[in-house]
Amino acid sequence: MAMEMRLPVARKPLSESVGRDTKKHLVVPGDTITTDTGFMRGHGTYMGEEKLIASVAGSVERVNKLICVKALKTRYNGEVGDIVVGRITEVQQKRWKVETNSRLDSVLLLSSMNLPGGELRRRSAEDELAMRGFLQEGDLISAEVQAVFSDGAVSLHTRSLKYGKLGQGVLVQVSPSLVKRQKTHFHDLPCGASVILGNNGFIWIYPTPEHKEEGAGGFAADLEPVSLADREVISRLRNCIVLLVTQRVMLYDTSILYCYEASLPHQIKDLLKPEIMEEVVMETRQRLLEQEG
Amino acid sequence: MKETPLSNCERRFLLRAIEEKKRLDGRQTYDYRNIKISFGTDYGCCIVELGKTRVLGQVSCELVSPKLNRATEGILFFNLELSQMAAPAFEPGRQSDLLVKLNRLLERCLRNSKCIDTESLCVVAGEKVWQIRVDLHLLNHDGNIIDAASIAAIVALCHFRRPDVSVQGDEVTLYTPEERDPVPLSIHHMPICVSFAFFQQGTYLLVDPNEREERVMDGLLVIAMNKHREICTIQSSGGIMLLKDQVLRCSKIAGVKVLEITELIQKALENDRKVRKEGGKYGFAESIASQRITAFKMEKAPIDTSDVEEKAEEIIAEAEPPLEVVSNPVLWTPGTAQIGEGVENSWGDLEDSEKEEEDEDGTDEAIILDSIKMDIGVEVSNIGSQDAPIVLSDSEEEEMIILEPDKNPKKIRTQTTSAKQEAPSKKPVRKRKKKRAAN
Repeated sequence: MAMEMRLPVARKPLSESVGRDTKKHLVVPGDTITTDTGFMRGHGTYMGEEKLIASVAGSVERVNKLICVKALKTRYNGEVGDIVVGRITEVQQKRWKVETNSRLDSVLLLSSMNLPGGELRRRSAEDELAMRGFLQEGDLISAEVQAVFSDGAVSLHTRSLKYGKLGQGVLVQVSPSLVKRQKTHFHDLPCGASVILGNNGFIWIYPTPEHKEEGAGGFAADLEPVSLADREVISRLRNCIVLLVTQRVMLYDTSILYCYEASLPHQIKDLLKPEIMEEVVMETRQRLLEQEG
Repeated sequence: MKETPLSNCERRFLLRAIEEKKRLDGRQTYDYRNIKISFGTDYGCCIVELGKTRVLGQVSCELVSPKLNRATEGILFFNLELSQMAAPAFEPGRQSDLLVKLNRLLERCLRNSKCIDTESLCVVAGEKVWQIRVDLHLLNHDGNIIDAASIAAIVALCHFRRPDVSVQGDEVTLYTPEERDPVPLSIHHMPICVSFAFFQQGTYLLVDPNEREERVMDGLLVIAMNKHREICTIQSSGGIMLLKDQVLRCSKIAGVKVLEITELIQKALENDRKVRKEGGKYGFAESIASQRITAFKMEKAPIDTSDVEEKAEEIIAEAEPPLEVVSNPVLWTPGTAQIGEGVENSWGDLEDSEKEEEDEDGTDEAIILDSIKMDIGVEVSNIGSQDAPIVLSDSEEEEMIILEPDKNPKKIRTQTTSAKQEAPSKKPVRKRKKKRAAN
């Protein structure tokens, strides 16, 4: 088998994104944001010596009189209504602990979980004993944030049929700051696969189910073998997402789709080579700019 | 920080690979990872690397009063610490279970086996004895902490020199290292722990599990042995049921492994002794100097190159003969010619030289140029239109085109090489399958 060898080279700085009107105000911890004392302090800032100083590394956001610093590399901070993809780490009494790339494990209460068949009733002792039958340690689920506790821990619920246990697919873990907030995070891409963009940075790519099942309620794990064509689409999508992440492009359905189309002339395994990455990302960025303006 | 959970498919993958007798790093079932021992400048300080697991061991001594019920024996004190830099899961308050287990095992292995002669540590019976303290710090956790720690402990003890003491009647004289050479401890034998990880309820076993394998294992059997095949300690954890012949088999394997490791330790100690005697440089600065902080350190991976020649010959036979690049002298003015200087490196710019040759008499080169033209497409015509032909007065050639360096030579190169790679890749795959059937 012919082998390909590459020598390490100095990393090239990321290309400046073309056509940005306003330069982002980037700060590092300790930088002075402003000496004007008329502003209200938001997250990521603190007042020291009559100046507003940043405490995290990120970009400064200003809304009227409120200044806050949005960190670039951070753990997931939950907000009500976010879609997350998480992994069950523990099964406790009447709840599951879910790992969602945040500072504390998230909690999924038994009462917030859909019973199979979509029935609504009070959770009994038998339900508690049968918890492991629904979700075990190591299972992946998609859920929505119901509430945020005072210490920052997040409480999840799967009270809709579109949430629940995830079956066959590929998980990509990225930084939460790269996932764009949108109206919907469940996308059926025209290229032949579906994707769930979790706000916590966990992205789930899976083959589009042929028909929407209403009865299962998200528990039946579909173990039918996935066809080769679907697998190729999914692996190409996965490489595209990794590509976009290394070049720091925001992830949403349009950007992923454009990247997929730009990557079609290349082989899937070549997509992670630096020169091909730059090419594909440049094309994606151009198309995104054209679409915006 | 809590450990990130292992995904189900990773767990299944590891277990399936173990069922097929394959390990992630390519080792065999009974193979140990590379053991590297380096010594510090002080006596009794050493770092042991078992693969990526690193343990730092330091021995120190102190004169104290002995225990009341053991008036003529010295005191041994062992302490293993899991440093926070070893793994993200190790936090100041959180490591108790693992820590207690490892410390207890280490104590049983070294203290109860009486490998160190504690009677020789007595200075004045009932009043002054030596207290030997062994401190071990785990610097990096990549599986099998106990083996690395036991090796580090025994190596540090063998390397250590305590100050010389002489007793004359009631007087006790403690000599400094300058007055009299420090004296080594009296060590009877070297017990070394060997770990066996069990999977699928004891059906499969692996020696020296690394971190991933430890996460999916069912149970662990640790046997501490010395080179005389005496078992010092044996411990089975994880709640798996082991059969008698399994345990006997493991002890035989442990015997072989301990012999190898003891040899390695003796060699390392001997080397260090020689270097110190000859007055050469010793210490961590010497042994760790070869690693640079900014470069990735990759261990040499053994690659089987037995059949590379045949495959290389196949590839050469199928490939086209290399194109001849003839450097043409560029005639600037009568009497001044230029060969090769001033133009960009034409290593991969095949079409540059082809273009020049074509202008003169490129009959045999035209075929190759055509094939490249198919890939390039628009590129060649662009180059042709950009450069105006410079006609030189006294030159014999009709048309001389000085090409600008091609903008995307790499793209063309990858396309042609990828085409070449497709062709020979099919044959070796078939060859490989035959090999497996033979196995």
